[in-house]
Amino acid sequence: MTVLILTSEEDVTADMVVVHLNASGVPVVRLDPADLTGGVALSGEYVHGAFRGHLSAAGRLVSIGGLRSVWLRRPGIPASRAAAPSGWLAEEAGQALYGMLRGSDARWMNHPDAARRARHKPWQLRLAQRCGLPVPATLITTFPQAAREFAERYPDLVVKPVSGAHPQDPPRAVPTSRVAPDADFSAVAFGPTLLQRRVAKRADIRLTAVGERLLAARMATGAEAEVDVRFAESQAPWHPVEVAPRVADAVHAYLREAELAYGAFDFVEDGDGTWWFLECNQSGQFGFVEVDTGQPIARTIAEWLARPAAGQEARVNGASAKVV
Amino acid sequence: MQPFALNYARPAAELEVSTPYVYDSGLQLNVLRDGRIAACDHALMRELGTTTSTAGSKTHFDD
Repeated sequence: MTVLILTSEEDVTADMVVVHLNASGVPVVRLDPADLTGGVALSGEYVHGAFRGHLSAAGRLVSIGGLRSVWLRRPGIPASRAAAPSGWLAEEAGQALYGMLRGSDARWMNHPDAARRARHKPWQLRLAQRCGLPVPATLITTFPQAAREFAERYPDLVVKPVSGAHPQDPPRAVPTSRVAPDADFSAVAFGPTLLQRRVAKRADIRLTAVGERLLAARMATGAEAEVDVRFAESQAPWHPVEVAPRVADAVHAYLREAELAYGAFDFVEDGDGTWWFLECNQSGQFGFVEVDTGQPIARTIAEWLARPAAGQEARVNGASAKVV
Repeated sequence: MQPFALNYARPAAELEVSTPYVYDSGLQLNVLRDGRIAACDHALMRELGTTTSTAGSKTHFDD
């Protein structure tokens, strides 16, 4: 039984997992859907009440029925590197590939439906609340007056993109940023705006969840540190940190509800030691944490992917999946 | 007419480093020029920042 990894060639973080799978003798096929019709090919037939499908990449051939798991890591847009790419071809290639894979019994990290839903930040915030994780007061609005009133209630605010995406024309980054006390909120009318009470943090927390296992790391900061850790000029190293049982229970509940086998949770720790939920990236990076802390994240992912597929629920994550 | 959040936009910081490894489709891994597996060199990974959470990159949506 083979592990299928869907990601780009330059994804060296995925390499960290492939190394462990190789060491365990678990067959791996790695491909980028962007290479469909070029270096990647597929075929599937539905005949006499049965399905037989195959994928091939770089000289490897794998039966879709022979997949134990699929790691949806950083796949490119299907067929985007084909000889004549187009939106239509991307849709055709995506439907063919993911449609066949969805019919397999393989376990997913993470299932495409769960992954798509989990990217919605407003949905994340509500789920975190329901699971008992502290969420900073947040407003998402296109009403300038609502923003002004929110700023009166919470004078120290940050603004961040609702989607987490960044504009590409021209390429720009929109980091989480502090809102000036005298900000003019009239431009809130031109796009949904996410405002959130700034937590005076003493540390950033990255909690990486792989199935049932939680691996948390902490990086100490000053209270006036760069709000968005990704833009901090100099960064202290990450250190392993214990997860309080109450937080662990809430994170497990989140993963169950979200049907995620993997999640990279971002928290900030305040002066009282409370971890405030910011977001959960369903395909978040983990290599930078592992190289600092030595935590066995890649090995844990490899172990999760290597579990057998037969006899378990088809799409539910490792948090609740039955493995026989 | 610019949305409020874009008042805080910065130029995207694409990774400018040229990575000293190339993908080997036989191994399904990126390898260094001397044949070693790049992912096993944690010091290099830290130096290059290629496993780091970033923002504003076309190639890193969920970080």
